[in-house]
Amino acid sequence: MQQSKSSPDIIKKKRRTSTAGSGKISKKAETSTYPIVQLQNVKRIYTLGENKIYALNGVSFAIKKGDFVTIMGSSGSGKSTLLNMIGCLDLPTSGKVKVNNVDLSKLDDDGLTEIRRNNIGFIFQQFNLIPTLTALENVEIPMIFNGESPVRRRKKALAMLKKADLPLEYADHKPNEMSGGQQQRVAIARALANNPPILLADEPTGNLDTRTGHNIMELLKELNAAGTTVIVVTHDPKLEEYAHTTIRIQDGEII
Amino acid sequence: MRYELFIALRHIKARKRQTILSVAAIGIAVMILMVSQAFMAGFTQELYDKTVNNLPHVVVSPQTGDDYIHLYKNIILRVNNIDGVIASSPHLTGEASFKFKDNTKNAVLKGIIPAQEDAVAHIKKDIVKGNFDELAYSDKSIVIGQKFADDMQLELGDRVEISFPNANPMSLKVIAIYDTGTALDESITYTSLQTAQDFYDTGDVINGISLRLADFNRDREIAQMIKNDGYNAAGWSDTNPEILRTIAIESVSNNITIGFILLIASFGVVSTLNMVVMAKIKEIGILLAMGARKSNIRLIFLIESGLLGLAGALLGTAAGVVLALSIGGYPLPQGVYGLTYIPVLVRTNDVIIIITIVFLLNLIAGIYPAQRAASLDPVEAISTR
Repeated sequence: MQQSKSSPDIIKKKRRTSTAGSGKISKKAETSTYPIVQLQNVKRIYTLGENKIYALNGVSFAIKKGDFVTIMGSSGSGKSTLLNMIGCLDLPTSGKVKVNNVDLSKLDDDGLTEIRRNNIGFIFQQFNLIPTLTALENVEIPMIFNGESPVRRRKKALAMLKKADLPLEYADHKPNEMSGGQQQRVAIARALANNPPILLADEPTGNLDTRTGHNIMELLKELNAAGTTVIVVTHDPKLEEYAHTTIRIQDGEII
Repeated sequence: MRYELFIALRHIKARKRQTILSVAAIGIAVMILMVSQAFMAGFTQELYDKTVNNLPHVVVSPQTGDDYIHLYKNIILRVNNIDGVIASSPHLTGEASFKFKDNTKNAVLKGIIPAQEDAVAHIKKDIVKGNFDELAYSDKSIVIGQKFADDMQLELGDRVEISFPNANPMSLKVIAIYDTGTALDESITYTSLQTAQDFYDTGDVINGISLRLADFNRDREIAQMIKNDGYNAAGWSDTNPEILRTIAIESVSNNITIGFILLIASFGVVSTLNMVVMAKIKEIGILLAMGARKSNIRLIFLIESGLLGLAGALLGTAAGVVLALSIGGYPLPQGVYGLTYIPVLVRTNDVIIIITIVFLLNLIAGIYPAQRAASLDPVEAISTR
């Protein structure tokens, strides 16, 4: 079990455990046995009038640190709900979700925010960049909420953009001045901003052409090779080939 | 705070039209507020100038039971020594019947020592015809108001007959005419103290001393000091309570109106910000996913509403000051309430208070939309298109 390391930049009374992401995992991180994401009999039930919808119906699995996982499922299978659970955006109706060994059910909003901020980097199908900010500023956002100094932020954001293979002349471009692939690179750079141990990608190639999509997946693969756990939620069977592990979900259950 | 400010500024910049409209809404309300405050202050000032400034601030009157103050020179010396008294004027005042040709009228005849009365009541500045100082050396002369002169068809140099029961009838020469634009013009006439004493046949006595104070707000205090000395005395705010009452009524009704205007403007901010929240739902979701706390989101929107309020307040007061001053510079046609200009007074204090209140009001108005933004569900927010 990993011991708590207090990260110096944020003091938080609710901090329960480590922010494993703040210390970068070594390159050849042998996938340890320590599951970075763990779900135990997770149910998520939405009530619509008198109907109960079982978006997740008793899902259990564990994802090891350093793994590259695709969660496959068709639309309505519950994979988005699953993604929200892992991303600390939503809590289960019953069951247990642990991220980096922290039981999410015991956290309040701010606690969830903190776990999310320190452990998860989000990549969306729609890129979800903030349209009024430049590429560089978009990448700075998560670091801003993490309390990084402006100078360090800028430096790190540039490094992340470089890591995501965005040509630097685009750093001061707004999202609408970039192609889809470039926007997704900015989004990946943003997801990497706080060095999270987990990258959570929701249909990352869904809005890209095949070649750009391939390039983005290659980038994710490289990041995985450098130690980051990558979880890709998709309905596209082609993405399976990039992954070490595939979890299939249908009607709220693992198959 | 800095990054919330950064994001709030971006929101404001990105939505230029809405920003301009909501700042304009607040600005216009503030402008109205500023102008009306300037009018209010100007009106109050004018009222003081026209009334309190010309009134004796404190009047010393005979002891209870006496008609006159005997040995008044002694008393004058003593009140002049009171700190805060800058001038004093003994007078003998009474009623008199005036007759000129076929016109008759009753009015007050006030016997004064001209230089001293002017020091207290600033009569000279209202003289429109003739020479007020002549009262001092020209026996059997009188100074009348313009309205009185019109009613009696009197001109400078005419002789008006005065009489009263138990008084010695005499004829006085009009040597000056004053015009204050108030009701005084019709009802008060001035003659020399000596002439009044001859007319009423009283000997060397007076029935009042008018005092002028450095600060007219101390009238009650100083009146009390004189009372403690054994004389009767009253401040202007006790003898003319209607002046204070008028000002109070005006300012209450003015403040109520202004309060409503500000309330409406603040609701404008609420609805504008609500629209911003609606438009920014997805972005709020993204920020939440990127590690923003709910408190960060709340602060962003509070800052926005504060900034909009501040911008509106600053622009509004600036426009209001300019508008008020230009209205104040516009000459009125003659004879409107005795005013030649609309009274306008812009006070730094008012400007600061208005800006502060509008800013705070907008912060308060921003609480609801900010709270709404902060309580958005990140999952739903992100999936909004």
